[in-house]
Amino acid sequence: MPVLEITDLTKRYGDLLAVDHMSFAVEEGETYGLLGPNGAGKTTTISMVVGVLDRDGGEVLIDGLRHDVTSVKTKALIGYVPQELALYPDLTARENLRFFGHLYGLTARPARMRITEVLELVELHERADEAVTKYSGGMMRRLNIAIGLLNRPRLLVLDEPTAGVDPHSRNAILESVQRLAAEGVATLYTTHYMEEAERLCDRVGIVDAGHMLAEGTRRELVGLLDEHDRVILRVADGAARAVPTLRDLPGVLKAGGEDGDLELIVNEARSLLPAIIGALGEAGVEVRSVEVREPDLESVFLHITGKALRD
Amino acid sequence: MKPLAIALLNVRRLFRDRSNIFFVIITPFVMIFLMGLLFGGGRQLHVGVAGGTTPLADRLATSLGSPSIQVARFGSEERLLADVERGRLHGGLVIPAGYEATLRAGGRAEVRYVSRPGDPAAADLGSRVRWAVSREAAVLKAAQFGAAEGGTAGRADAGADAGAASAFDESLRLASGNAGVDVKVVTVGRSEIPPGFGQFAFSAPPLLLLYTFLTALTASIGLVQTRRLGISRRMYASPTPARTIVAGEAAGRLAIALLQSLLIMLGSAVLFGVDWGDPLGAAAMVILFALVGGGAATLLGALVGNEGVAISVSVILGLGLGALGGTMVPLDSFEGTLRTIAHLTPHAWGYDGFAELVRHDADLPGISSQLGVLAGYAAVLFALGSWCLRRALVR
Ligand SMILES: Nc1ncnc2c1ncn2[C@@H]1O[C@H](COP(=O)(O)OP(=O)(O)OP(=O)(O)O)[C@@H](O)[C@H]1O
Ligand SMILES: [Mg+2]
Repeated sequence: MPVLEITDLTKRYGDLLAVDHMSFAVEEGETYGLLGPNGAGKTTTISMVVGVLDRDGGEVLIDGLRHDVTSVKTKALIGYVPQELALYPDLTARENLRFFGHLYGLTARPARMRITEVLELVELHERADEAVTKYSGGMMRRLNIAIGLLNRPRLLVLDEPTAGVDPHSRNAILESVQRLAAEGVATLYTTHYMEEAERLCDRVGIVDAGHMLAEGTRRELVGLLDEHDRVILRVADGAARAVPTLRDLPGVLKAGGEDGDLELIVNEARSLLPAIIGALGEAGVEVRSVEVREPDLESVFLHITGKALRD
Repeated sequence: MKPLAIALLNVRRLFRDRSNIFFVIITPFVMIFLMGLLFGGGRQLHVGVAGGTTPLADRLATSLGSPSIQVARFGSEERLLADVERGRLHGGLVIPAGYEATLRAGGRAEVRYVSRPGDPAAADLGSRVRWAVSREAAVLKAAQFGAAEGGTAGRADAGADAGAASAFDESLRLASGNAGVDVKVVTVGRSEIPPGFGQFAFSAPPLLLLYTFLTALTASIGLVQTRRLGISRRMYASPTPARTIVAGEAAGRLAIALLQSLLIMLGSAVLFGVDWGDPLGAAAMVILFALVGGGAATLLGALVGNEGVAISVSVILGLGLGALGGTMVPLDSFEGTLRTIAHLTPHAWGYDGFAELVRHDADLPGISSQLGVLAGYAAVLFALGSWCLRRALVR
């Protein structure tokens, strides 16, 4: 049974169909990414998933239980990291955590222990007793996430958790999400950073204007394109000599090249790379540099919607 | 107890801001002190008397004096008026030349009190002078009555004039209480401010109302921020029902209002010796008025979209309703239509309630009408505030 299952979820704002019959499911230990441009309906979908927004149609099941804005029991299973920094700026990180720990029903001692744990997880333990106003944007983002982890959720919902943070904080955030997924937490993650979706998500749903346009693993989505991976090699000499050998390798669709350069069209560049380098070595061709170009989700998005992911 | 946790968080946040500590804890007492001096008559008042040379005139002039009123004698009316005009005196009493003779002949004499317009100290002095004069008038009336009845027995041998004079003096002596006869002074109507009433007992209740309402309203800012930052949505995403969040936030405003009023009540009792009267009545007033302030703050916090607007509305409403309700310039000085309009504010009802308790020793049943009106305000504001906040939360 999936941890989260939504069917035909619909939300209307006046004439605007913000979310239009959206359906998908997230399994235990799976990280599911919602990828879409501004105004696609990601936050609206998430608000209905966590139960802070009434829906106009469809159904949300958490661990098989019906879930809506009044479902206290299923809300206890969800960790929510909103897109905005929903923190008391005048309180310290620890005070913020203590307050939300209370709302999630943690009693004094377990709360203290859990607060220490999540502070360490997001690397804020050294500055936990400073007022949030003194934090950098990235630190606030990390605290925003820490609050979502307090209740050891079955389903973790993160709405653009890395918006506007420095590379260090971004890395810390992505690593903690990966660690939680490894522990079996089901994660719903929205972003419009394609690299994040590729790195984190087992499956991705591409949404635009309230519609789910395509869904699948990165491979499956890229398969929708008539594009293949390219491998570009710079070699010392004897390129022409190597071409027939390379053409014979399984998985290589095309190979060609002139003096210094070789270009291959292949099925899966990453897995083929060792065989390619090996074959060149046997042919006595010295490799100076290798470049792999894979069609990415950005290209998939462009292909499906005809527009770029970011403005 | 989630509502309690939410309420306490609000109180904690209030005191996290240093300027609030100053605003909530220190300024009310400074204001009580200053307003007490200004309107409560706690300072030395200077009154001049012209024409106080004859014995009866001297009696009147002397009777004006008290520890807080200093009397200066003037030879001429012109010099007295000049000093009043220049503000050297808070007021002047002019005793006419024929004062003594008229009274001894059983007639009515008239004295004039002069002061500069718009001087609160002069108004305060005026009421004290009126008080002293009416007391003297009662004594003189008794003396005139005694003289007219033929005076005291055993004076037949004296001349008619001399006899009447000594009969007057004898009656005066008796009426003044030297011989153990008490003259009861009866004034028509009730004096709003009893004589000898402490100046801070005059200034503390209105300022309690002003500050409680103002502080409660400014506590709406925290609620607006909680909503704007998405914290209230995040609370709603936790396993906490909407009604619990609404109850907690409303209780937070109430707690802040209660804290402010209790602080002023207890602080003024300790610092300035203010006697708040019947404890039950005072407790009921404080609780109901804090409910009014808390309800208004919840409503404001649920309606307004950003903190800047919340601050402006709080200050305008807090000071505006406070002024209209008689917490800045005393409600006692309001008359007619203005007084009626003032009673559209909860402050005026609070003012009346506290006046009954503090000045006239009323008990709980004695202020039931004021409590009833405040309870009405509180119920309406809390119901509206909770409804709006709940809507704002789920939207
Ligand atoms: N409360 C609201 N009232 C009216 N329209 C709304 C409301 N909230 C969102 N919308 C509209 O619904 C659509 C979807 O918004 P949503 O916030 O879900 O997009 P998003 O995918 O999260 O975008 P972003 O990447 O910018 O966060 C937008 O057109 C938005 O203007
Ligand atoms: Mg969004």
